[in-house]
Amino acid sequence: MSAVAGAERPQVVSHVQQALSYTVFDCKWVPRSARLLCLGSAARGTGLVQLYELRGARLELLREIEKPKPIKCGTFGATSLQQRYLATGDFDGNLNIWNLEAPEIPVYSVKGHKEIINSIDGVGGLGIGEGAPEIVTGSRDGTVKVWDPRQKDTPVANMEPVQGESKRDCWTVAFGNAYNQEERVVCAGYDNGDIKLFDLKTMSLRWETNIKNGVCSVEFDRKDINMNKLVATSLEGKFHVFDMRTQHPTKGFASISEKVQKSTIWQVRHLPQNRDIFMTSGGSGSLHLWKYEYPAQRSKKDSEGSEMGVAGSVSLLQNVTLSTQPISSLDWSPDKKGLCVCGAFDQTVRVLIVTKLNKI
Amino acid sequence: MPLWLREHSWRQTLTAVYLSLPLRGARATPANIFCTEQYLKVSIPPFLFEAILYAPIDDTNSTAKIGNGNIFFTLYKKEPAMWDSLTLANADKEKLQHVRENAVLKAHEKAKEETEAKKITKQEHKNYALEATMKLEEAERKRIEDLKEKERQKVAKELELWKNQQKDADKYKNIPKKGELRQEIEELKEKKNEKMDKTRIPNEGTSKARLKPTKGCHGSCSMFSENLKEEQLPAPRSAATIKVNFTPRVFPTALRESRVAEEEEWLQKQAEARRAINSDLSELEDLKEEEKNPDWLKDKGNKMFAMGNYLAAVNAYNLAVRLNNRLPLLYLNRAACHLKLRNLHKAIEDSSKALELLTPPVPDNENARVKAYVRRGTAFCQLELYAEGLQDYEAALKIDPKNKNIEKDAEKIRHLIQGTLQGS
Repeated sequence: MSAVAGAERPQVVSHVQQALSYTVFDCKWVPRSARLLCLGSAARGTGLVQLYELRGARLELLREIEKPKPIKCGTFGATSLQQRYLATGDFDGNLNIWNLEAPEIPVYSVKGHKEIINSIDGVGGLGIGEGAPEIVTGSRDGTVKVWDPRQKDTPVANMEPVQGESKRDCWTVAFGNAYNQEERVVCAGYDNGDIKLFDLKTMSLRWETNIKNGVCSVEFDRKDINMNKLVATSLEGKFHVFDMRTQHPTKGFASISEKVQKSTIWQVRHLPQNRDIFMTSGGSGSLHLWKYEYPAQRSKKDSEGSEMGVAGSVSLLQNVTLSTQPISSLDWSPDKKGLCVCGAFDQTVRVLIVTKLNKI
Repeated sequence: MPLWLREHSWRQTLTAVYLSLPLRGARATPANIFCTEQYLKVSIPPFLFEAILYAPIDDTNSTAKIGNGNIFFTLYKKEPAMWDSLTLANADKEKLQHVRENAVLKAHEKAKEETEAKKITKQEHKNYALEATMKLEEAERKRIEDLKEKERQKVAKELELWKNQQKDADKYKNIPKKGELRQEIEELKEKKNEKMDKTRIPNEGTSKARLKPTKGCHGSCSMFSENLKEEQLPAPRSAATIKVNFTPRVFPTALRESRVAEEEEWLQKQAEARRAINSDLSELEDLKEEEKNPDWLKDKGNKMFAMGNYLAAVNAYNLAVRLNNRLPLLYLNRAACHLKLRNLHKAIEDSSKALELLTPPVPDNENARVKAYVRRGTAFCQLELYAEGLQDYEAALKIDPKNKNIEKDAEKIRHLIQGTLQGS
């Protein structure tokens, strides 16, 4: 399937491995630095944020912050580069934004949801993209809320189930299409396989589909461009790549799907330096590196004359098994191409280097 | 009696004896030649030549060449001496015998030794081969490891380099702005204090207003481009809500929602039912093996039903039930037969028994349950117990709402009930 010869394939090299004494749920690189954050839950039911620095062949713990509730997810997506405030969602449904230099009191705090915040994403910060910085959270209570750090207590957008409808857990959220100040789109994946695309400019549901298995992770290939591709991963080892450039009035977006292995695909992350390369992490402790190839024509006309997208193809560049437990979180460094960190349920965080990405 | 070959000719040197033995038309192979230290025999039935040699020879090095109608022996003497004659004279029969036996024994021993030696050398060769391959594989592995290690080190070095670059870049960024830095820090502290006050005294109305002045101040004092952008940020969105619907539940759902526990129970029950065989039936001893198999009997019953021979079908099911009274399908099918035979009470009994056995209700046994309800309902209606019949039809409809036939029949019964109510 891959046109790349064996010796020229990217290699995934495990650079550093750090054993932790708590369950790590999310790991993130601190932008513009060689530091990374691990967010998780200690055995006694409190939340932990640990700041590590990559020094030589090991990780040095710089700071450890303990919070009353376990922390599930975090993002730097909505802060400016100097401030580098961390937005976190915890098991209790609280959204907090922390200044890591002074973490005793959050810069912004709101009890956003009634149940655990499963996923968080930020847009508009870090000098990427345009428009107001916003944070979106998806929770087990079935709602997806968009927050503006300048507005206290109430979300600027709320996607909730119709009155009387039984709720489904929202497992993942992602921002996209933020190419100018007005446009913005939120994609949410639910546990019954629903994927919904909300347009924040028109405040409406733009598209929805169901991929049969619970959606573990969605990500646009770039948040700050006209939406190009969306990857959604699910239980039972499948992931779908949607071509988001052409929306057909009834058929929606074209997609291809790929089955990797029997286990859940927990995360998908696109390489910040190349939007056609992404890595998926699996429940069997393995990582797969994929490359998307565009088709000759990205859209074609169907029998009624309306435009329909054409999905391309995906090829596996490399795969490696690092652990026996699921790798639940994955993050590429935005500064160094190929550097990534992953956290697994075997209480270790690993820094990996993927080589030869220039040759793809 | 073998034919002795006597026309041999021989000559000798100090160390060797050359013996030429003409074969009168017979074909010789190495198997026909038997030679030990002091005894030589060539036996090509019916010809025979044997000789007890004058002195011992070295039989391992001696050779025999077969060709041209004769065998040419080159026998190397053990002790270089001239022989008076080829064979020992005055060899009597006993000595001959003795010598022969000895010779055979010696040959055997030699053969054994040779095989032993061969085995040992073979073993050694195998070991050697094994070691050689192991070494090769080890070398290969090491080579790959080295490659990986080199790659890793190269990458680590690059990382270090990049990190140092980052550090330098940060340093350079900070140095010229040192003057501004102090101001920055004070402003940041101010902002922080304000923010902390805000969180301690939540005051929604003033928060937005307060934010603008600090932003403005920030923007004018510093040279960072990001802050200039801040001024141009749009106001926070006006709050809105989007209502969503979720896809209705379709079985099979995700594992977390499937009724695994109940399905397991059902499967277990089925497994047990198969195993439960009523033993003590003595009259079954003269049945054929296959007739003792409830499944076979069930199939037989089904065939009879299909052919229209309902009584035979009932018999088959009866026997099956006697063998294994835990299989719900037997009762179900028997109920159908009874319906056809208009044994309505029996039909009701059997459908009820089937329904009993079809708990817990899982999608696996949906079909069976629908059939059971429908059959019982039909029986009730034919007994003119329309209320009970309707109940059963409605239960069937609940399991399978899309079945038009059941719906139609239920409607009919409802009309009938209303008709009788009005009539009476």
